[in-house]
Amino acid sequence: MIVESLTALTNPYSLLAVFIGTVSGVLVGGMPGLTATMAVALLIPVTFALEPLTGLLLMGGVYCGAMYGGSIPAILLRTPGTPAAVATAMEGYPMTQKGKGGLALKVSVISSFVGGTFSAFVLLLVAPILAKFALSFGPPEYFLLALVGLAGIVSMADDESSLVKALISGLIGLILAVVGTDPMSGMLRYTMNNPDLFDGIAFMPALIGLFSISQMLELTGSGSIVADTSVITKIKREPMPKGLGKYIGTGSLVGTIVGILPGEGATIAAFLSYNVARQRSDKKELFGKGNPEGIAAAEAGNNGCVGGSLIPTLTLGIPGNSVAAALLGGLLVHGLIPGPELFTKYGVMTYAFILSLFLANVVFLIMGLLMAPHFARISLTPTGLLIPVVCLFSVLGSYAMNNSIFDIYVALGCGIVAVVLHKTGFSLGALILGLILGPIAESGFAQALIMGHGDYRIFFNRPQAMVLWVLIILLLVPPAYQAVKRHREKKEADTLQPV
Amino acid sequence: MLLAMLLYRSTAAYPEAVQGSTAMYVRFLAVSLGILCAVEVGMWLKSREQEISEKLNITAAPIRFWGLLAELVAYTLLLEPLGFYLASLIFLPVAMVTQGAKKPLTIGTTTAGVLLFVFLVFEKLLAVPLPERLWF
Repeated sequence: MIVESLTALTNPYSLLAVFIGTVSGVLVGGMPGLTATMAVALLIPVTFALEPLTGLLLMGGVYCGAMYGGSIPAILLRTPGTPAAVATAMEGYPMTQKGKGGLALKVSVISSFVGGTFSAFVLLLVAPILAKFALSFGPPEYFLLALVGLAGIVSMADDESSLVKALISGLIGLILAVVGTDPMSGMLRYTMNNPDLFDGIAFMPALIGLFSISQMLELTGSGSIVADTSVITKIKREPMPKGLGKYIGTGSLVGTIVGILPGEGATIAAFLSYNVARQRSDKKELFGKGNPEGIAAAEAGNNGCVGGSLIPTLTLGIPGNSVAAALLGGLLVHGLIPGPELFTKYGVMTYAFILSLFLANVVFLIMGLLMAPHFARISLTPTGLLIPVVCLFSVLGSYAMNNSIFDIYVALGCGIVAVVLHKTGFSLGALILGLILGPIAESGFAQALIMGHGDYRIFFNRPQAMVLWVLIILLLVPPAYQAVKRHREKKEADTLQPV
Repeated sequence: MLLAMLLYRSTAAYPEAVQGSTAMYVRFLAVSLGILCAVEVGMWLKSREQEISEKLNITAAPIRFWGLLAELVAYTLLLEPLGFYLASLIFLPVAMVTQGAKKPLTIGTTTAGVLLFVFLVFEKLLAVPLPERLWF
């Protein structure tokens, strides 16, 4: 069957579909406000006119390409093309400011390739077994998974003082995520009767405001993104930093596992991978200041999610995330019902689709490596031209998600709030993490308590939950101890200093 | 701390059915925020003597910073009456001049290039809905 699938894939039309899909995906992912979900959904009617396999290959290429494409503006302009590239922006943009944008892009594309390829292998080899594992996760585990992600807030703090500010930032994010409809009762909360808030604060406009608009406002005092123009000559082909393998490996694994869990997305996968890399790194102090290890983990994480999310989609018909849901729509349109038949009766097509994911990864790897030095030159554009153009695309991206002018105001409001928070030492990363994980944490917590009839032991009496508790403790204790220790040392040094 | 208090009090209005679930979650957030804010205030009071009161310096270039923000608000306000293309045709050159661009040819070609790109890629290729004009 694999040989037949390979033959179907090597058909010129199929190869062209993978190529066009991947390149379009990179472009869509690279534009703020245009997401992979939107692109795949837009493609569904187009695939009516195509052979089912060609349509599937096109959609798979878009998915892979978009996941990588989001990192390009995140690194160069601190404007994440997709929400999954937020963690990449936190390390990539400082590298661009130091004139190392080309290297950051290279790390990003190679990590994305490894993460994507690893997850495609997992999808190819052990999809049905892992799908059963995904179903064993219930609301208590989802709540604890959100806590695993939130544990990252603690490691974002440098000392005791910023630890409190980081926790407050995270809580503000969680509180903002409460706005909208109560997931249990359907009651409207804190919406001020504004229909634009009934579904909660739109995530993408908030993200565009917090990262992109705030950065453009901060750039108003500079001539270009690269602070020191003498480093212009450094924007050329640089070798990959050594020792990134373990972070790419961690990211690929975490991304694939998170991807398998229904409802969990690439954004969470990227943040979790980033957090684990931060814990494992010997250069923790460089995180947030342009550490390629962070980019490697985050990009391997979000691309690892691609294959992972397709496991429950293809085997059980439960989409791993919103892009997989759109892709599932594409499958159903062509009469392909997820389940065992997809791997037997329609096996040639299914395996050709899985194999095309490898090809899509190769396409964006070549494209990324060839284009990285050229993309990096964007950072040298004078701010007089760059700021208005990026602001225009930020406004357009904020509007495009829901066709709402209100969302543009959300982005502008978040932009100015982000500047003030940044200047006063609060953590934007923690706020974003709270905003992302808030809905999962709330519905997981509420559903689990209903399941357990109000008994909190439900969070402790399942083996999966216990494993997650151990993980939370492992992630929480060392950075909290380090932060307190650093604060004490600083205090002692201050008292020893002569007046 | 005020937000924490208001948030906590607001949970009393939640339906009875969710008092033990989502209301409990929101109360937990409110209490945590209140405690952390109290700790932050306490730490600030403790270190106040050591720190020289510094004025919060938002930006090194206030005219460009606040100018851009004002232009963005005006742009958003103009999007509905004028539509995307006309509003952008005003916003882009004005913002470029405010941000220091001087060459009219560069400003003109960049504006035209960006709008052409949006028309071809966003409107024609991807059929992304753009704000449409209401006035004329």
